[in-house]
Amino acid sequence: MEAATAWRDGGITPSDAKRGSSEPLWRALAVFRFASLGYAMLRLAVIDRGDYSRPDWAWAVIGVMTVWTIGTTIAYARPDRRTRLLLSTDLAVTAVLLLSTAVLQTSKATQHGVTPVTATWLAGPVLAWAIRYGRRAGTVAALIMSACDLSLSHGAAISVVLNGVVLLLLAGVIVGHLARLAAEVEAERQRAIEVEAASRERERLARNIHDSVLQVLALVQRRGAEAGGTAAELGRLAGQQEAALRALVGGGLVGGGLVGGGTAGPAGGLGPGTSGAVDLRAALLSAQTDRVTVSVPAQAVLLDKAAADELASAMRAALDNVGRHCGERTRAWVLVEDEPDVITVTIRDEGPGIPDGRLAEAAAAGRLGVSHSIHGRLRDLGGSATITSAPGEGTEVELRLPRGAGIPVARSRERP
Amino acid sequence: MGRSGPIRVMVVDDHPMWRDAVARDLTEAGYDVVATAADGAQALRVTGAARPDVVVLDLQLPDMSGVEVTRGLRAAHPAVRVLVLSASGEQQDVLDAVKAGAVGYLLKSAARAEFLDAVRRTADGDAVFTPGLAALVLGEFRRLAAAPVGDGGDTPQLTERETEILRMVATGLSYKQIATRLVLSHRTVQNHVHNTLGKLQLHNRIELVRYAIEHGLAGESEPGGHEPR
Repeated sequence: MEAATAWRDGGITPSDAKRGSSEPLWRALAVFRFASLGYAMLRLAVIDRGDYSRPDWAWAVIGVMTVWTIGTTIAYARPDRRTRLLLSTDLAVTAVLLLSTAVLQTSKATQHGVTPVTATWLAGPVLAWAIRYGRRAGTVAALIMSACDLSLSHGAAISVVLNGVVLLLLAGVIVGHLARLAAEVEAERQRAIEVEAASRERERLARNIHDSVLQVLALVQRRGAEAGGTAAELGRLAGQQEAALRALVGGGLVGGGLVGGGTAGPAGGLGPGTSGAVDLRAALLSAQTDRVTVSVPAQAVLLDKAAADELASAMRAALDNVGRHCGERTRAWVLVEDEPDVITVTIRDEGPGIPDGRLAEAAAAGRLGVSHSIHGRLRDLGGSATITSAPGEGTEVELRLPRGAGIPVARSRERP
Repeated sequence: MGRSGPIRVMVVDDHPMWRDAVARDLTEAGYDVVATAADGAQALRVTGAARPDVVVLDLQLPDMSGVEVTRGLRAAHPAVRVLVLSASGEQQDVLDAVKAGAVGYLLKSAARAEFLDAVRRTADGDAVFTPGLAALVLGEFRRLAAAPVGDGGDTPQLTERETEILRMVATGLSYKQIATRLVLSHRTVQNHVHNTLGKLQLHNRIELVRYAIEHGLAGESEPGGHEPR
């Protein structure tokens, strides 16, 4: 590996990380060498038998080819041995064996372009260079080998030999290109794996950090409230952030498909059957502050997104109303109940309540605008809103949305 | 009550900062913090020797879930009362801990006075019902009612009165306010609330036993309490 890295000098050099992708090509090369060795034997023994002046020496060359085929196959099996030195030696040995054809065949045969003793076996090192160093190296190796081949016939049978040259060049270019593509795909895959591992690790860390941050914010809120003054204001802010972060973390969990137990109803996540369904709890929990307590069941309250948004808006309108008319510090509670046939959201405040007859007065004062908007939203959804109040007992707004009758999904879909 | 001396409390939380703050608050208010633990295994190990009246338990522990710790504590030391203190807002975890035998649940952001009061009430055997817990219990009874009946038909149900009271607790009314509204005594309201928890825990125990019998897990070993310190 070290040697290979040191030898590298620009050009297309598949890096060590991408090495794994070229392994099938190296195995294919070994198969090719043995197959073409067999072909060379066949040519010498049967097809071109009459063209050899020294068949015994030709068999000796075949013997050397056999040894070299086995040797290179073993050598190339390990990535760290595929050095430039070995590949150069491979090229040189093959070239010498190719050139030996000149003294083995009859001069007439050589000039007529009879297949040399190495036959197609000479493509071995060309492919090796292409696989190891890419398209350009493959082309150079093919050119060297072609030059040797052409020199055998002294250019006499160029039209015959040219076929082989073109095929050799093509093999060098295509295999080199293939090797580079494989290396790129492999690198891409590696990057994807790394990104995935990194994001998983980030998620894990985020969970831990969220938990710790929630703890700190809760502590600041508590200590701040006790200290009073400016610290109380800080504590209040910490409380708001804690609620916001908790809603965010909780919402993320629901969106991601409720990890672990506690799933209910049609789906743990947003399966294809419940497209557009969201957990109403997430939408309502975002209203939680230090003065607003939102209490929900343990299981997801699945509802069409449009309906959930409308309910959340109605709840927010009711809470805004509390803040505006009873003072910012008035405490309020939101309760979410999920029954088979109806979803109920109750908003209760600790304000002074609305005395009898005040609702009419309020209408004149424009205050009924809010209750109108709450009523309107629920009516559009096919539900109802009830506002009850007694002096000194606060105000209770009950939003009821019947399930079934196709309201949550079908009706809200029709609206633009 | 039969207790003499200060209330003995054990604090289980893996955040040292929070553990110390809670322990200090308790000590300053005259409670006896007999032990602290950073994880569930340690909590189960030291409970026998420390003999706390109340265990203040964080649900997010590094080694085991708060539900498992609650179950282990209740099995090995039935007299110990578990108050869940959670920052996670993980409703299902809280509900499971309550079903496993915890008698109260408080968010960590609760004010100090609220927290100290909750510990005292837990020690007295009173269920600490925040609005959040009331909503969880209500939701669980509704889930059980909606689930297909079939195995035995022993699904627990809330009476109308209990549902009414739980809804009031869940919308922030105090026991005193509820008592006034319904013209009941404070004690009666408290009993109603406590009963809902009892039904749920009983149902949970029955389910566990049935599960154990069905799966041949009879003769279960004593959870926790072994392994000398």
